[in-house]
Amino acid sequence: MKTIVRSIVVVLALTGAVATTVTPAASAKTTVAATKTSAMPAPRCPLNSPDGCGFNNW
Amino acid sequence: MRLISGNLVRLFGYAEVVLCITGLALLIWRRQWKDYTWLGAFLAVRASSSVLLIAIHQIVGPLIGPRRAYPYYACVYWTTAAIESVLTLMIVYGVFKLAMAPLKGLQTLGTLVFKWAAGISVAVALGNAFTPNSADGYLLTAISQLQRTQSILTLCLLLFVTFAIRPMGLTYSSRIFGVGLGLGAMATNDLVQSAWLSFHPDMGGTYNVILGVVSCSIFLLWNVYFALPEPKRRIIVLPTTSPFLRWNQISQALGDEPGFVAVGGVPPEVFAPAELEIMRRASAKMPTASTSPMPKVTDFPTAAKRVASSAI
Repeated sequence: MKTIVRSIVVVLALTGAVATTVTPAASAKTTVAATKTSAMPAPRCPLNSPDGCGFNNW
Repeated sequence: MRLISGNLVRLFGYAEVVLCITGLALLIWRRQWKDYTWLGAFLAVRASSSVLLIAIHQIVGPLIGPRRAYPYYACVYWTTAAIESVLTLMIVYGVFKLAMAPLKGLQTLGTLVFKWAAGISVAVALGNAFTPNSADGYLLTAISQLQRTQSILTLCLLLFVTFAIRPMGLTYSSRIFGVGLGLGAMATNDLVQSAWLSFHPDMGGTYNVILGVVSCSIFLLWNVYFALPEPKRRIIVLPTTSPFLRWNQISQALGDEPGFVAVGGVPPEVFAPAELEIMRRASAKMPTASTSPMPKVTDFPTAAKRVASSAI
């Protein structure tokens, strides 16, 4: 049990660390670099997006 | 496929609101509001945020059109994201304080370190936002940076709580661990999601379904931890050689108010007459090398006399 929980936590931390290295490279292409964990879709386009960033697609 | 995923996203949105309100109710019912005030505030902000976002999407959007409704949606989303980011920092701070409660010295030291780390995180976030190359809005860049540093801090806390759980008398069923695990999962998801959505910015992507599942799972995890009775904290037994014990003792000694001794320049007026009389008598009793021999053991007062003289 102890090993399983510790492994999960280490995997979480490592995944986060890897994702941190990927994000700066990716963020140069779009408007916003971060989001929050939410069931509601994240608005990641500029405010004057012509199609409202796919607002009607969900 | 898009229709199904859209329905699922809306469904998870409603579920998130329900789970947040249930979590708030459980916090109050279990009388945990005092210990988890910031978590309660976070759940309240998230529930309000989701209700507003659903309203903009379901009610405002069809009325004024998607292109005009989108800025409102983005403003509410990012404003609440900033508030939630700060609240998450406060939750992490609260969880750390609760976890370290039995080791007061380490708690004080850790709190100091945490405040510095959080302060630097905020300063770096604001500093990055105002760089000349900042293509995005200042506020959005600051929020993004703050979220990233807050996610890293959260993961560090989770690692610490997981590996130091025994010396703190906690178990994996403790609410402190449950809240930390949920925050850690949220932080990891924030970082992964940021990387993924940078390449797929469209709001209608199927990835939103995964986000809904993750988000609802985290809130469900917290609800389960608060619904079930928490096991009592174990008696903390540490070996005398434990670094936790040693560092706790050192930390407790740090920052103590020192005592002060008057070594000179004391005018006689500051003493009461009784104190002056005691000092005069004590001086009279002191042997001098020329007039009296060195005192013997029998010259000193007995225990009974000592008590009487200290009472004076």
